[in-house]
Amino acid sequence: MTVIKLVVGGILPYITLVVFLWGIIYKIRKWNKAAQGKMTLYPTPSTPGGKWRKIIKEILIFQSLFKGNRALWGGTWIFHASLALIFIGHFRVVTDFPILWRALGMGKDDVDTFSATVGGIAGLIILVMGIYLLFRRMVIQRVKEISDGEDYFTLGLILAIIISGDIMRFITHFDLVQSREYFAALVTFSRVSVPADPAFLVHFFLGQLLIIYIPFSKFLHIPGAFYSKSIIYQE
Amino acid sequence: MSEERVISHSDIEKAINSVKAIKDGPRALQLYMDICAKCGTCAEQCHVSKANPNRRTNPAAQSDLIRKLYKQDGSILTKISGLLNGNNKSLSADDLQTWVRDFYECSGCRRCALYCPFGIDNSVITRKGRAIVHALGLSPKMMVQTQETSDKFGNDEGQTYKSFMNAVEFLESELEEEHGIPIKIPVDQEADILFVPASADLISFPETQMGSATFFHAAGLNWTMSSKAFDGANFGLFTGDDAHMKRKNKVLHDACLELKVKKLVIGECGHAYRIAKRIGGPFYWGNDIPYEVTNIFILAAEKLRKGAFKLDPGRNAEPVTYHDPCNFARSTGVIEEPRALLRACVTDFREMTPNRENNWCCGGGGGLAVMDGKEGVKKNEVTFMEYRMNVGGKMKLNQIKETGAKYVAAPCANCKRQIMQLMDYHKMDVKVGGVFDLFDKAVILDK
Repeated sequence: MTVIKLVVGGILPYITLVVFLWGIIYKIRKWNKAAQGKMTLYPTPSTPGGKWRKIIKEILIFQSLFKGNRALWGGTWIFHASLALIFIGHFRVVTDFPILWRALGMGKDDVDTFSATVGGIAGLIILVMGIYLLFRRMVIQRVKEISDGEDYFTLGLILAIIISGDIMRFITHFDLVQSREYFAALVTFSRVSVPADPAFLVHFFLGQLLIIYIPFSKFLHIPGAFYSKSIIYQE
Repeated sequence: MSEERVISHSDIEKAINSVKAIKDGPRALQLYMDICAKCGTCAEQCHVSKANPNRRTNPAAQSDLIRKLYKQDGSILTKISGLLNGNNKSLSADDLQTWVRDFYECSGCRRCALYCPFGIDNSVITRKGRAIVHALGLSPKMMVQTQETSDKFGNDEGQTYKSFMNAVEFLESELEEEHGIPIKIPVDQEADILFVPASADLISFPETQMGSATFFHAAGLNWTMSSKAFDGANFGLFTGDDAHMKRKNKVLHDACLELKVKKLVIGECGHAYRIAKRIGGPFYWGNDIPYEVTNIFILAAEKLRKGAFKLDPGRNAEPVTYHDPCNFARSTGVIEEPRALLRACVTDFREMTPNRENNWCCGGGGGLAVMDGKEGVKKNEVTFMEYRMNVGGKMKLNQIKETGAKYVAAPCANCKRQIMQLMDYHKMDVKVGGVFDLFDKAVILDK
């Protein structure tokens, strides 16, 4: 256990950070350097402002997918929206924001209740939607025929992260004080005491695996969407 | 050619190297290798995939032919993901042979890009695949022959100065007979406008060419054609042969300079306009070129708004529908102009569903319309003609049926040929022609 805690909590985070940053910067620089002729897809806005409004609309509401595949749009939009909420919620895992709570007039209990409700619901919804995405990949012939190991691996990884996260939320009731102390030690390069909850270790390990995997996999669709949309909306 | 051609080890090596070279290629191609999430939306929006749903016609799977090869870059990470994907199979001679078929069954209509959540334009990958087989001399016969003819004569039909002038003379006499007044088709004169249709219009679709001439006459425009540059069609777009594409565009560019025109006006030919406007023109020859590239629909819609001519829609009383060629709607945004003109020329205009940028490809795009034979037959035993009639054109056929129209206006030589054959093959009593064919009938000329 001590070794696992040391590797997952004491060593891996630094590796994750370096590999992720190196990978993503390498990719984005490569995309930036690459030449690209015009290949506008019409109709498209004729002003740069219009173009960026259209891109932001795509990123926020998946407009093309809404027109192209309504069922998938429903599932995946809810999935990504929950993910966004959960991502924001994770800032509280790292540190607390007392000034913000005071500004909003919320006490400690209010914040905890709010976070437990929103985070809890989002954690369950994303689980259901993640299962839906896996289900459609396994069942719908047109998706099944283009799915390979990588597609199942990425979905499996995400589902495992969601499930371990939900276990911490609903079963082991992970205390955020531990993680805040841990992250504070991590960023100041002090001696860390890694939280001992096995669900935390699994969740944190897989989460880091996911982050490392982003620059080398189809998760590149996160930054890539801005680039690829920008090419076809270029008037 | 492709039937007899034996694929050598060095062919395979060359193909693999071209795929690897994508890593330093255009941004779009690099992104498309990296970001596809395999969500399957393209399969729902592709006319081929809808008509014949299977793995081979799935756009994502087709793009994977190149994507999977690209990802085998020998690094440990890709080896691991290769194991995950069962992706360590290299390219075989058989695979390469069937690439011809694979990449020519996609017409490059870009409909998938419209619905893809990331805007992945599979036609870019299709064109890359075609460029690879072209560089190996494996392109379908018709494609190679057309390019050779074009390089020799400056037009895809192999017309000489004499046959062009004969065609012009014939069209002028037809026009005079129809309208009772002489309508000139000026050739090689210095003018404001150089008009360039697809050369196929002169022979196969003379009514479109006549309608265009009548339009210039009725609108009182100072125009000319060039005996050297009367073909905007450009198969370099279809074969992935960039050098040919530029050579062919240069024919138009030179003619514009020679005749000192202010405008290069492309006729009813979608891909000709796409190349002249979006790829050639200022992008090849610099922003300070003395002419502007535009299109006969844009010009005609503007003249229509200004009331430059009188039209009698009653002369076209049969129900008419409009087919949006991919290269007009999705690739150059010429969407409302032809409609404005049609509405003024006919009494019963009916939209297909879906229409405009959402329109289904006719199945003849990307040069397919001129291919009839069996090429790349290893995986698929039907000829291109059978494929176009039963698979590629299926969505379009159904769309046309639903409108109940008796005339399909399709302003593109490829679309015209494909839809004509489609109507014929399926025994539909529907006429196929251009928009300017109808204009020619509707226009009221001062005697």
